[in-house]
Amino acid sequence: MRITSFKSRAFALVSTTALLATLVVAAPAHAAATGPTCDGATPVQTCTGTTSDGAAYKMMVPATFAGVVTIWSHGFGGNTTIPGVFAVDSSAQLAPNGPGQNGGSPDLIKYLTDKGVAVMGSGFSTQGWNLDEAVKTNAELIGIFKAKFTTTTKVVAWGYSMGGGITQAFAEQHPELISSAAVMNPVDAWGSQSKYFIDLLWLMKTWFDPSIKLTGYAAGAAGDMQMLGDLQKYTAILTALKAGVASGAWPTTSSASGKTLQAGGIPSRSALLMIGRLAGISAQSSSFDGIVGPPGAAATAWPLAYAPALATLENIAGVLGYSLLGARDMQNKMGGTSFDNQKTDYSKQLSDEDRTVYNAAFSGNTAIAGMLQTLSPLNPDAPRIKGDAAALAKSASTMYESTGKIKVPTVMMIGQHDPVEPAGIVQRISDLYEEDFAAAKAAAKKAAQKSGAYSAPARKLQVLWSVTPKSWSKFDADGAPISIVGTPGTGHTNFTMAQYKVVIDTAIEAAITGNLPWTGAQLSKVTKAKGLKIDRDTLYPWMKYYNK
Amino acid sequence: MIRTTRRKFLVASAVMAATALSLSVMPAQALSPRSEVGVTSTAIKLGITLPMGGSARYGYNQLPGAMKAYFDYVNANGGVNGRKISLVVKDDGYLPKQAIQNTQDLIAKDKVLAVIGALGTANNKAVASAVNLGRRGIPSLFINTGFSGFNDRKAYPTSSTILPSYIMEAKLMSKFLKETYPGKKVCMLYQDDDFGDDALVGFDKSHGNMDFAVKVAYPSLSQGVAGVPDSWITKFKAGGCEVQVVFGVASATLYTVLAAAKAQYAPKWVLGSVGADIGSINPATVPYIIGATSMSFMPSVVDPKDEYVAKFKEINTTYNAGAKFNSWALIGMNTAFVAVQALKAAGKDLTRASLLAAIDNNGSKFANAGLVPLNYSKTSNVGFNGYWFGTFNKTGDLVPNDTFTYTPYTTDSGTGDVVKSTYVRPAMPAKGLPN
Repeated sequence: MRITSFKSRAFALVSTTALLATLVVAAPAHAAATGPTCDGATPVQTCTGTTSDGAAYKMMVPATFAGVVTIWSHGFGGNTTIPGVFAVDSSAQLAPNGPGQNGGSPDLIKYLTDKGVAVMGSGFSTQGWNLDEAVKTNAELIGIFKAKFTTTTKVVAWGYSMGGGITQAFAEQHPELISSAAVMNPVDAWGSQSKYFIDLLWLMKTWFDPSIKLTGYAAGAAGDMQMLGDLQKYTAILTALKAGVASGAWPTTSSASGKTLQAGGIPSRSALLMIGRLAGISAQSSSFDGIVGPPGAAATAWPLAYAPALATLENIAGVLGYSLLGARDMQNKMGGTSFDNQKTDYSKQLSDEDRTVYNAAFSGNTAIAGMLQTLSPLNPDAPRIKGDAAALAKSASTMYESTGKIKVPTVMMIGQHDPVEPAGIVQRISDLYEEDFAAAKAAAKKAAQKSGAYSAPARKLQVLWSVTPKSWSKFDADGAPISIVGTPGTGHTNFTMAQYKVVIDTAIEAAITGNLPWTGAQLSKVTKAKGLKIDRDTLYPWMKYYNK
Repeated sequence: MIRTTRRKFLVASAVMAATALSLSVMPAQALSPRSEVGVTSTAIKLGITLPMGGSARYGYNQLPGAMKAYFDYVNANGGVNGRKISLVVKDDGYLPKQAIQNTQDLIAKDKVLAVIGALGTANNKAVASAVNLGRRGIPSLFINTGFSGFNDRKAYPTSSTILPSYIMEAKLMSKFLKETYPGKKVCMLYQDDDFGDDALVGFDKSHGNMDFAVKVAYPSLSQGVAGVPDSWITKFKAGGCEVQVVFGVASATLYTVLAAAKAQYAPKWVLGSVGADIGSINPATVPYIIGATSMSFMPSVVDPKDEYVAKFKEINTTYNAGAKFNSWALIGMNTAFVAVQALKAAGKDLTRASLLAAIDNNGSKFANAGLVPLNYSKTSNVGFNGYWFGTFNKTGDLVPNDTFTYTPYTTDSGTGDVVKSTYVRPAMPAKGLPN
């Protein structure tokens, strides 16, 4: 964890260019299937080629190959080249990246090949929300590998972020092709994920800057530039909100509704927190734990009144780029706006628990009611998004919506406070699985009543939660909060190499034995990786899409 | 979700793996019952999370010491079914996130049988949701809040509150105000959250049916902002208020009476039980509330003739040396006294389930110092259901009158009547030890 001065940094408010640069991946260079062409090197040979949809792939196969191969699915990448800003990159990815890496961490790749495990992965032919395309590519790639390396016995699928969602979708659709899966901070089904992204963006636009376009971008480069313009406006909002945290001042670009709330004495930090709670973003972040306050009189009031809003701000900064690029990408794919919130009742998205726990930060019940009232569909100053019928229909008929069903032994890993893929995504999968597992146990017990022998079903899902320290906020001598980067359990894909290793080791063991390890030795491995918990006791709220 | 602790689950899994073959052919009914978390043949471990530090600690931090003192007294007299009781205390600073963490630690690391006497509406709501006590079957007993929402047994199946609900309090206060100050302009300051929402329900047409000339809602924490309490007083004065109700926390009471004194605003004060609790109130408040009305369900801590007060004071002196015996010490000791009866009633095969069942089946009959009945049953997780009214004397203690004769009233959180209580308190068991 690195600690830098809060005052000297616009904590995590990354520049537009830097933000977009983190999202650059893969170009859709379409070509006929080729390869694999192998270099025959020892101790590890490298094979390359392209799948039939043009995805560049790479395989690294050790001389000691014992039949187990991993297939990696990478994270979300921008799908459009914007001249002078970024270009799409289609290079193959084999494993999670370490800091500043691309293509996969060499340490992790060596870790696996040293064990006799082969690794493979592609760059995918399509970027953006590419779940359907990627599932097809992965299925083809597994076939190519098995044809080339006929001693293959087990395939382990793994991926993070978008790739986590791809891996989960792949396991749901093709359990016959893999023996286990490692799913890390996965995207949710598109319906849920897009609601999360666009609720955040729409709520910010509605209160803080109605000039933001958000939908109806022009085709091609002109639309890309419109999106970049929006990104700059959102960044300006976050900067203004940060400046107004103490005073409660609203951004000067605020809507008439926002100005009315401001005139009513509701500080902008309360509105910011409300946006976070309605969308479902965590109110704990890398710098703000909601536990520690500055020494002195504000020790209790600060974590209650200010920290939740600041954490929301920091987390929104972390998801902003993904949200906009996701929204833009889907508009391109569907040929129009495939999101519609005309009938959304945002007041129902504020949980009873949030209403109580964050009451002081919201500035009380009267303020809560006032804020929610401005989000009424009847408020002309809060125009809703009307989806394009054709785009909505296309989205409904062509987009695969993950079910969250567990069909192969699966290990999952997610941060408690991931701002891009909230923990509730995995919570839902875990909850659904527990229902299935309880049913399986009940069926086994019923069978035991007839046979007289009980055969316990094997548990197929192990969730490793990347958890925060007990408390982590820091304050300088003047009582000002200090920005903290990389707090475990916060941020997106904020995992250590040790954590990646325990995840892939667990999946490989499950592939070989047919069952996930639940032994004391497994617990010891998890403990040694540090910052992980196998915890089926803590509950994280499901994504708002599920209205639960 | 399966609600075992992580370590226990893994250990259990290891055992399962090691004996997989034999288990696979073992008749299901042959599996033996497990022992309960937090219980051994010689010990019972309980836990509590509450503000021991920070600005909200006043008074409340007296609770654990008093509870421990009573448990130590019981332990010195043989314990409960031969088991000695211990209490693990964690400081949450009145912060929900910390309360969640503390409760998780109490369950997973300290391995307590039950949480007991935890404090605060927001903290316990957060804990119930994030830690999911209900589905895991973990008791959170005798929560110190009057928020009526906890009385939903479906939502909080393993939780119970001990304070009367704020709705009950407002209903009783309505009756008092109408009978004591007919024709007067009554005004109210209330906290703009669950606490105040309950009060508004209790005062509304279908409950207490109380009209206020001026109502001012304050967001929690705004009471400490310079100038804000003055703005409340300006509104009350402008409204010609003659009787002033404060349904807020102790710090709101302090800032209100200070601002009133500054503005020479001198109404008849009627203070809610939370904001006028002398154990948690800032001593600076005392000179301003002498003669003010408030409410309690426990006997006055300065009652010279109450047998419970006398015995608990004696135990406090011996086992909680140096700690003042105030209202929260009395509540803490009484909570421990009730808990011991629940543990006894749960029997020798003590489990979380048997403890909850014991309270459901016997809780309404537990002896205790309260002057109104406990209402625990299979359909109710509500503790006390009423109050008596009194005034603050010169030392800041709430007393019913010079003779310490109480007139308690009871009601419910619904639309039931407010009635004079006919409850006859059970006598203090011999030596202060439940049978």
